[in-house]
Amino acid sequence: MVIWKTSKPNSSRLLVADKPFYNPAMPTIEIKNLSKTYRVYQKQEGLIASVRGLFHREYREVHAVNDINLTVEEGEFVAFLGPNGAGKTTTLKLLSGVINPDQGSVKVLGHVPWERENEYRRKFALVMGQKNQLWWDLPAMESFRLNQHIYCVPKEEFERTRDELCEMLNVTNLLGRPVRELSLGERMKMELIAALIHKPDVLFLDEPTIGLDVVAQHKIQEFLKAYQQEQNNTILLTSHYMKDIEALCKRVVIIANGSIYHDGSLEDIVDQFSGDKIVTLQFHDDRSLEAISNIPNLIEIDAPKIKFRVNRDEVGRVLSQILSEHAVDDIVVEDPPLEEVISNVFSQAEAKGRREAEPLSKSR
Amino acid sequence: MAWAGMNWGLFKIIYRHTGEIGLDSGWHEHEFFIFLGTIWIINSLIQTLFMANAAEFSELIRTGNLDFALLKPIDTQFLISFPRINWSQLPNGILGVVLIAHSLRELMGEREIYFSVFSIPAFLFFIGCGAVVMYSVMICLASTSIWFGRNQNLYNFWFYITNFYRYPMEIYQRSGVGMALWGTFTFVVPILVVSNIPARILAQPLGTPWKPWEWGLAAYAIIGSIWSLMASRWVFKRALKSYRSASS
Repeated sequence: MVIWKTSKPNSSRLLVADKPFYNPAMPTIEIKNLSKTYRVYQKQEGLIASVRGLFHREYREVHAVNDINLTVEEGEFVAFLGPNGAGKTTTLKLLSGVINPDQGSVKVLGHVPWERENEYRRKFALVMGQKNQLWWDLPAMESFRLNQHIYCVPKEEFERTRDELCEMLNVTNLLGRPVRELSLGERMKMELIAALIHKPDVLFLDEPTIGLDVVAQHKIQEFLKAYQQEQNNTILLTSHYMKDIEALCKRVVIIANGSIYHDGSLEDIVDQFSGDKIVTLQFHDDRSLEAISNIPNLIEIDAPKIKFRVNRDEVGRVLSQILSEHAVDDIVVEDPPLEEVISNVFSQAEAKGRREAEPLSKSR
Repeated sequence: MAWAGMNWGLFKIIYRHTGEIGLDSGWHEHEFFIFLGTIWIINSLIQTLFMANAAEFSELIRTGNLDFALLKPIDTQFLISFPRINWSQLPNGILGVVLIAHSLRELMGEREIYFSVFSIPAFLFFIGCGAVVMYSVMICLASTSIWFGRNQNLYNFWFYITNFYRYPMEIYQRSGVGMALWGTFTFVVPILVVSNIPARILAQPLGTPWKPWEWGLAAYAIIGSIWSLMASRWVFKRALKSYRSASS
């Protein structure tokens, strides 16, 4: 006896060619004033504090997501960047309707995620690098099959998609192996395939390369890039690996303390947050090297090379001065490493956040 | 199995001292063992189909893995209710069937028992209602994990609640407290009704035809099953609204 309403799968909506039903003028993702606050129980150490906690509880409000506004167009590949606990994952969870917000509105493909309509849930996928959605003791193949049935993908189409994806990720021979016996990299590839079986229009990737070695990371980057180009779907990615972001995303959104701190291209970030260039000179003789070895902002001397930092606006002047006085064999002027820039941005953002942070709120 | 044996033994001893439970209630030894068998069947159904899944649901909430269930374009309650079948709990149900068959035979030797083609389907139908109600109770209990974060008392709670539905309803109708319990477990959480009706169909403690209030109670068992399923659905949905997921 079925008392509650089960919505019937509408097979016509599952065809790949069938683009989602929403106004094309509308952005794919539209976030307005989105906020999510967690009330977290604060407990002091020890038994007495535990007993006290039964009668009087102290809570701290954590603004995981704080008034975020963001618009993403179809086919964009956007990176969410931010320190741990910045609110990236919470934002993705809100977008995928796993949790409900306290405030604000979100439309993804014209749907409100937390209403959890089946129609919406058939159109997106969420992959979490730190969680596992495949059956642990069974081969990945079984999990794919389950997803095929849950998402009502026709058999031929399912097989085609699966074979394509397996080939792209080079895991065809691992399909029959229990998931628990796969390496982390292999498992992650399987997770991706499981999430892509129904060809989602929107894909949320939460640290898909976490803990992977360079080769596996690179493989997954290449795959995502090729896949996105082929399908032109909209992807939101969070990652702590700059390589991922450099390789994949034209647009980077920096989130810190639950707010958007910057939204633009990677180059923008470097321009805006790094005032310096790094200059490496290779001198013809050691005398020149000694002559300028007391230059300010020196990074290292590795004869016959010297490396130092110069303010962006000064590069021309400093270089022409050195060139006029010394014989130089080679010059390299480059941006500081992305990691360094980003870490500067993070500390700036955190400092700003701390200044604005509310005092501890206590409640009974 | 051992538990079932002890259960049976205990009531065997009790019936050494008394002829029936509740004055004029009709629950003599064989009638009561039919009741006991019915309970075993419902319990084993629940434990085979839902118990492990409900415990798993609590665990999904605690670890945040419920996220994945929420993403799927399929009813979430359906998805978390049925992934696993715990076959090891089935033998108690079979034992229940054996006990009922044996007691019925004994009973038929003593007095006339009305038995028609509808008796077995009706019995099974009300067993189904029982399973529905007990399932609803379990979903409600498991849903509370969303608010408490952790709920290891699911099995304990289950034990307390099933303690109340394991006896014929007449035993409650003697005192004020008993009446309060009877009211609660009949009208608020209709677990008493769904254990009593199928047992009454076979055991007919008051003989046949049924008294009018027995018919009323049977109708109420159906309404109660629907109402408890709807209530559990509501609790489940409310709980999901408060789901916070877990760190990742």
